[in-house]
Amino acid sequence: MISPEFLLSALVLFLYAAGTAAIVVGTVARNASMKRVANWLAITGFVVHAISLVAGLQGHTWETISKGYFLQMLSWSMLLIYLFVWWKFKLDFLSALASPFALLIYLSSFKVAEVQSKLPESLSGLFFGLHIGTLFLSFGLMAMAFGAGVLFLHMERKIKTKEPLTGFRKDLPALSTFDRVNRLCVVWGFPLFTLGIVSGFVWAHPAWGKVITWDPKEIVSLAVWVMYALLFHQRVALGWQGRKPAVMVIWIFAVSVFSLIVVNVFMPTHHSFIQQ
Amino acid sequence: MERDIYLIGLNHRTAGVEVRERFALTDCNVLEQGVVPIDDVVSEVLILSTCNRVEILAVGRGPEVVSRVLRGWSSARGQCEHDLAPYVYTHKGPEAIRHLFRVASSLDSMVVGEPQILGQLKDAYRKAIERNCTRVILNRLLHKAFSVAKRVRTETGVASSAVSISYAAVELAKRIFGEMNQYKAMLIGAGEMAELAATHLLHAGISKIYVANRTFERGRELARQFNGEAIHFEDLFERLADADIIISSTGAHEAIIRARDIKDVLRRRKHRPMFFIDIAVPRDIDPDVNNLDNVYLYDIDDLKEVVEENLAQRREEASKALTIVEEETGKFGQWLRSLELQPTIVDLIRRSERIAQDELARTLKRLGPVDDETRDALEAMLSSMVRKLNHEPITFLKRRHSEEDAGPRYIDIARRMFNLDDDNVPPDAHCDRRRHDEDN
Repeated sequence: MISPEFLLSALVLFLYAAGTAAIVVGTVARNASMKRVANWLAITGFVVHAISLVAGLQGHTWETISKGYFLQMLSWSMLLIYLFVWWKFKLDFLSALASPFALLIYLSSFKVAEVQSKLPESLSGLFFGLHIGTLFLSFGLMAMAFGAGVLFLHMERKIKTKEPLTGFRKDLPALSTFDRVNRLCVVWGFPLFTLGIVSGFVWAHPAWGKVITWDPKEIVSLAVWVMYALLFHQRVALGWQGRKPAVMVIWIFAVSVFSLIVVNVFMPTHHSFIQQ
Repeated sequence: MERDIYLIGLNHRTAGVEVRERFALTDCNVLEQGVVPIDDVVSEVLILSTCNRVEILAVGRGPEVVSRVLRGWSSARGQCEHDLAPYVYTHKGPEAIRHLFRVASSLDSMVVGEPQILGQLKDAYRKAIERNCTRVILNRLLHKAFSVAKRVRTETGVASSAVSISYAAVELAKRIFGEMNQYKAMLIGAGEMAELAATHLLHAGISKIYVANRTFERGRELARQFNGEAIHFEDLFERLADADIIISSTGAHEAIIRARDIKDVLRRRKHRPMFFIDIAVPRDIDPDVNNLDNVYLYDIDDLKEVVEENLAQRREEASKALTIVEEETGKFGQWLRSLELQPTIVDLIRRSERIAQDELARTLKRLGPVDDETRDALEAMLSSMVRKLNHEPITFLKRRHSEEDAGPRYIDIARRMFNLDDDNVPPDAHCDRRRHDEDN
């Protein structure tokens, strides 16, 4: 028999896939109503996804839920960030990033969920929620800033070199808007990221007996934190704008993706979602 | 002889400016009625006269309409008809409709897509109505022309990009800054084009304009005009940090702003972006400035290139627009032909027969199986009802049609009353007329 959970996941998957297809078509064909459809698909997907996340918790505690669940949460927080930025800045170009990202992460959660195993005893309660939640939110913000940064660099180059704007580029917002997304992501993302890292260390002490275990994931994350801190400082204290923060955020995001995928899958780490 | 639409006119392509001046009908007191009196040859007339064109639309019978218009036009300007003839084009029927639609959607303008012409045409139409010179055909034609213009504007990019240097500069500023209301601009030097750009910037919502001019008095004068602030030329670099958009147009022989000056300014303004627009020749701003981070520099040639590019785009879009014009011309021609008596009678009868057949089918379905006799009786009843209901309107139309002038008007009313053209009437249609009714 098909379980209701499976049905919910299939529905979420369908909505994100349709949203991705619609936004790609809408952007390339410069069709406004298609983009609107894409946004509504993403919003519906977001709501259904939230329901499936709540349903997934039924009968479980933090200790017994599947690893795939966390990736589904990450995928959901991508949409959460996007909808927030969309509401705050009225930027629908971000939907070109949100649905595809959410879809990718959601898909990967199935791969992970196949590996049935228990979370270590150490993963417990509130601290863990704090650790995962803040890091996921800051990852979502980074992804947004990454997209905005790529578009900023592209458009800035066009304007600097005085090339005529063609096709969908005409529909893109002003450079200052991309920069505002970058600012939002840095100003909110860095404290969240810091909170995530710190809570990890605090909780590592009782769980593994020491604060730092020199796990590859910890090393990469610290590197990201240093870069993030630098960017935060330059942006907030020195008032960096435009190109430099855009370039930096792209690097930070790239390293984070490396940490999320390469380290988690190919390196021995006790941060892995897939445990042997 | 059949009534037809004629369009007689001249424009910037067929006549030089001296000729256009000589035959302009803008400031004449003797418009429509004075130029082409309405009688049994000409039944409707409208005159559009702008600095680039004169177009006279007339509805009438036979080629005499054209000579009447030409005679009236030249004598209204105290000129000889033969001086006018070589510059004039004459369109009839579909040609005339097409030409009007092209003019209304600004496809025939010197700068394709410029928005003024539609307003001028609306003005001309309003005046023609006031002088009681339009009837059913021109009314419908002009309304159609306005809706074609709207369609062209929304469905094609004919009017979407800037085609003047100063406006192109403002468009670029919007690409960089987005909303203008938290940014400030500075004019260095006070040229005509700089003033124009400043006006556009104010329209776009810029929050403040500074003016730095070598003669402080002149600068202050200009600043007052824009409700801005004049600054002394010596304080230029001091105050440059306050400005996000800088428009420079001094008569200096060499660059007055160099990259190293701007580096310092940028530090003071915490690297917020700056946009320099250099419309002076020789240039005021060293091209190196463009290499700085968060600084954008466009000189007059760059802006010209943007304008050229946009013009080319408009021309490309214009071909799309012509398809729309063609389509609408066809539709209007159909409507015009339907104003004849015979097709309207046919349409009227066909419509009621269709309704009768539909209703019959529905009733038979509800009744279930019936014998042939009942069926024949029902059919006979319906067809006699159709005949009798249509009898009065058709007789009425025939009678009116034999009278002069009234024919098309009543046929048009009948077509609309019975919705023979399957028009979708929007709920806000004819709101002007509705208001008029309420007033009475």
